[in-house]
Amino acid sequence: MSFWEEFLSKLSFGTLITLQLLTVTIPLSVILGILIGILRVYGGRIGKTLANLYVYIFRGFPLLVTLMIMFFGLADIGIRLTPYWAAALAIIICSSAYQSEYVKMSILSIDEGQSLAAKSLGMKRSTEIFYIILPQALRVALPGIGNEIIYMILYSSLAYIVGVNEIFSAAISVNSIWFKPTEVFLVTALIYLAMTTMASYGLKKLEHRLWIPGFETRRKS
Amino acid sequence: MNLMISLSKYLPYIFEGSLWSLGLVLGGLGIGFVIGVMFSLIQVYGSSPLRRLISLYVWFFRGTPLIVQLFLFHWSIFPALGIKSTPLITSITVLGLRSGAYQSQIFRGAIGSIEEKQMLAAKAIGMNDWDAISSIVLPQALRIALPQISNEYSIILKDSAICFILGVMELMTRAKYTAIATGIALIPYLMAGLIYIGLTYIGTKLFDLLYLKMRIPGSVEG
Amino acid sequence: MSGETVLRVKDLYKRYGDRIVLKGVSFEIRKAEVKAIMGPSGTGKTTLLKCIDMLVKPDSGRIWLEDLELTDPRIDIGEARKKIGFVFQEFNLFHHLTAIKNVMIGLTKVKKLPKDEARTIAERALLKVHIERELWDKYPAQLSGGQKQRVAIARALAMEPMIMLYDEPTSALDPQLTGEVLEVIKELAEDGMTSLIVTHEVGFASEIADEIMIMMDGKIIERGDPRKVIHNPRREETRRFFSKILKIGDESR
Repeated sequence: MSFWEEFLSKLSFGTLITLQLLTVTIPLSVILGILIGILRVYGGRIGKTLANLYVYIFRGFPLLVTLMIMFFGLADIGIRLTPYWAAALAIIICSSAYQSEYVKMSILSIDEGQSLAAKSLGMKRSTEIFYIILPQALRVALPGIGNEIIYMILYSSLAYIVGVNEIFSAAISVNSIWFKPTEVFLVTALIYLAMTTMASYGLKKLEHRLWIPGFETRRKS
Repeated sequence: MNLMISLSKYLPYIFEGSLWSLGLVLGGLGIGFVIGVMFSLIQVYGSSPLRRLISLYVWFFRGTPLIVQLFLFHWSIFPALGIKSTPLITSITVLGLRSGAYQSQIFRGAIGSIEEKQMLAAKAIGMNDWDAISSIVLPQALRIALPQISNEYSIILKDSAICFILGVMELMTRAKYTAIATGIALIPYLMAGLIYIGLTYIGTKLFDLLYLKMRIPGSVEG
Repeated sequence: MSGETVLRVKDLYKRYGDRIVLKGVSFEIRKAEVKAIMGPSGTGKTTLLKCIDMLVKPDSGRIWLEDLELTDPRIDIGEARKKIGFVFQEFNLFHHLTAIKNVMIGLTKVKKLPKDEARTIAERALLKVHIERELWDKYPAQLSGGQKQRVAIARALAMEPMIMLYDEPTSALDPQLTGEVLEVIKELAEDGMTSLIVTHEVGFASEIADEIMIMMDGKIIERGDPRKVIHNPRREETRRFFSKILKIGDESR
């Protein structure tokens, strides 16, 4: 096999793994982030404290630390995760902590009148949260959540460190055989650029689709 | 018990990594600041080909993983330029270049938020462009940007952990060596994590102090 | 006056910190009756209305909606609120829902009605407040203030409440838009909707209210027939209050 043949075949395999990792981690981290965000606003004293502690720790730890703990650290106490799941869990945990921040802020940005109006119609707390507050709050949070998704694409490359065969790990393995760092890392960079560019384009589209007249002015105020 | 004793021997060793981590962060933040200010000014006031060039730079550094950038610079770009780099120098440079991309966007936003009216006022009293920018617009923009720079500090601090991939003797590398030497991974990495939290806390508190000092009475920014 | 009592408020107290906002408020409203509450700003009128809908918990005192005691902590307050229509000063339309969806959501999510039935009721409510078909699919931000407030009235109305509470329904509106909202409230009252209205519109209040209650400093200091209370009050404070707002009203028109 020539360099390019080997490189491109390994790289496309790696890209698939990265995409697969992202299809698992992005939705789960967003959902978890929303739940934790809700807990941080409506969770009562215990719920709030626990959720805030979670966020404080996992926003404070670099993703790499969480990743090492998931893969090597948990093994010390008998929990052995596969590289893939150690990486997926670390990314989900870390990212959801950040997501919850956007969710919390956006919930708090919704004016009190919305909640009063919901109550005055006789809505239960859960109805109010899921049908009145969240549909508005998530629109406000969307740019932040989108940014976080871009970060997840970038930081998925750290999965290489625990031995997941994703894009960057393909690059390393090809480079170690052929030692052509310029070609290898430039092409790798281009693939990430393509992914992040497409993702931010898609997110812009989504923001546009979910746009509601009058909402943008509320967000700024 | 023995484990604890052998782990405790490594404690100062891990802690010493803080200095290296902080070195990476301060170096990166400093280089990023210079690049960020320059590039934001070009993006606001520069000619359009220059602006496009900067956009390309920002697009590249924000759209690729740090780990790829580190390898690209260490194994390809620096050697191609004939620079003999060490892991530390590569790390600081790349953190700086990358942070420059982010900081340029922070400053661009800050300048944009005050530029028009302040510039007009400065010109009205007869200042030339450069004086207006350097003595009116920039000082205010820097104040407005400070909370975000503080945020950038905590981001770059956590990013600096990734430099362990090149073997810089910072916190993560030392936690890893400790894990290998003692056969225990959980505690060293937890300790590293807590030190990162501590450094984030101290750093952002210092930025808060700086912000209070730089604040102009009566201004409502931030 | 006839008919059974719809709402009974007895000896209501509410304090915020060391500021006592309500100092023993009591009154009743019978079916199809319209009462207006007037008084200077910051005298607890809004708090009183919010207490009645239990949006603010009173510190003491009791409230009954017919036989149901709202201040009883054991009742399902959501069930009770369904029967009370509340119209806010700032409209508080749900920003993310179109006009008709704003009216429907209480029907589908609280009353659990099927969508098409909810839609029929919502359409009827919107027509009742003179919101025409072409506005039904507009978002709140695309409506004028007067239209927003009428949609908000329709939203409360659609729930078929036993009583409507209006909290200064026109004070967030430009003067030229207040008329259309007051007209709707008047029509509803004439149709027999039991109403409690906090308002600064003297003419409006005297026209539609069976009784005006003057609230000052957390207490109802005077109540009675509108014309008497406005033009020939028993209390000096009431006289001063009306002479002040009538003067301001003259200047602004």
